[in-house]
Amino acid sequence: MTWFWTVFHRNRRLLNFGLEIFLIILIVFSGNTARPFLGNLVLSIFHYPFAELKESIEGLHSVAEENRNLKNILAESNLQRGFTEEARRENIRLREFLGFDPPENFTLVPVKIVSLEQNRYPYAAVINKGKNDFIDIDCPVVNRFGLVGKVKETMREFATVQLLTDPSNAVSARTVESRQIGIVRYVPSEGMIFDNLPADAVIDKGDQIISSGLGGVYPSGLSIALVDSVLANKGEIKKQVWLRPNVNFNEIEELFVLKSVGK
Amino acid sequence: MKIIPYILYLFLIAFYVTIFSDFVAIYGVTIDLVVFLVVAVGLFKDEIEATWFGVAAGIVAGATRLDLMPWDVLTIGVIAFAANQMGTRINLESLLSKIIVLATAVLLHGIVQTLVISADNFFYVLLRFVMPSMVYTVLLGVLFFLIKDGRISWEKTKALF
Repeated sequence: MTWFWTVFHRNRRLLNFGLEIFLIILIVFSGNTARPFLGNLVLSIFHYPFAELKESIEGLHSVAEENRNLKNILAESNLQRGFTEEARRENIRLREFLGFDPPENFTLVPVKIVSLEQNRYPYAAVINKGKNDFIDIDCPVVNRFGLVGKVKETMREFATVQLLTDPSNAVSARTVESRQIGIVRYVPSEGMIFDNLPADAVIDKGDQIISSGLGGVYPSGLSIALVDSVLANKGEIKKQVWLRPNVNFNEIEELFVLKSVGK
Repeated sequence: MKIIPYILYLFLIAFYVTIFSDFVAIYGVTIDLVVFLVVAVGLFKDEIEATWFGVAAGIVAGATRLDLMPWDVLTIGVIAFAANQMGTRINLESLLSKIIVLATAVLLHGIVQTLVISADNFFYVLLRFVMPSMVYTVLLGVLFFLIKDGRISWEKTKALF
């Protein structure tokens, strides 16, 4: 044994070189046996942990990428859902409106509001149809709840609607039950009122007010408002009547211009 | 012979080959870390350690492509032996001499790899990849040797500011 170690130490350099050259020859010439074995061993010991790490990092990166894409898709879906919901609501409104029959000798021209003029409350609206669509001045404008106003000005592709909330826009109206005639107008400090009603007029809270057809602008029978409160002071010659408009002027969207068939 | 540092070097080679080479690549030009480590070991360690490390580094580096493994083992083994022999004959205090050894080794490795993979467009590959890779590795080598010789140190860097 001592002899072996002596020879080993004396020829250490040669033995190492011999082993190295043997290993290299083995790798070079035993292509199908030693090389795959060695490759597999080295890969599983040295490379595999890092390959796993790389895969995990790439996996995290792809998850982050996928997460970003999904967020985009979700945002698009939400937007689409919003549009669909809006279309559904519009559909419901239009379906409700189909039950509304225009007065005799009038046709409905659907219009959309382009802009709403307001100063604390809306008083005028610009609609997306004008002279090109045969919209004329003084054409009544309604929505599914009732009378909204009338066309004040017309342009080629647009028109301005004077809403009932404009103080200068007065409508001749009557009560449905007692057929009392008066003037509906908007007073900024009081709201919508039913004016010019004699003190002895029969009118109660909840009565419906419709257009009378007098005055030549609005056809009769268009729903305007409900009576909100009535005040009859002794000695007064007129009754004070406050109305609750059927139309919420802050929420008007689709409107219909009532166009006279003859025009 | 301490074996653990060499095993760590082999892990470093595997890490570099598997993950890190892509991060430090500049337009496809990468550092030849295998040759760099082999030359560094060859210059500063004894012959047996250097040659065994060269063979092992060749096996680890070539394990990803078994058909190139013999060439890698052979080339890197020879580079390790040659670097060790040069280390006993050159002035190791001189940065230039170490850099010349490193540059020659990287160039040799690159040329052999290019010829083995494909001799087509040899000069294009030599100019486009091998030479820039040599420059890139030499830059790393300069930094390493300056730090190893103590010419760049944390204290000196701190003193600059």
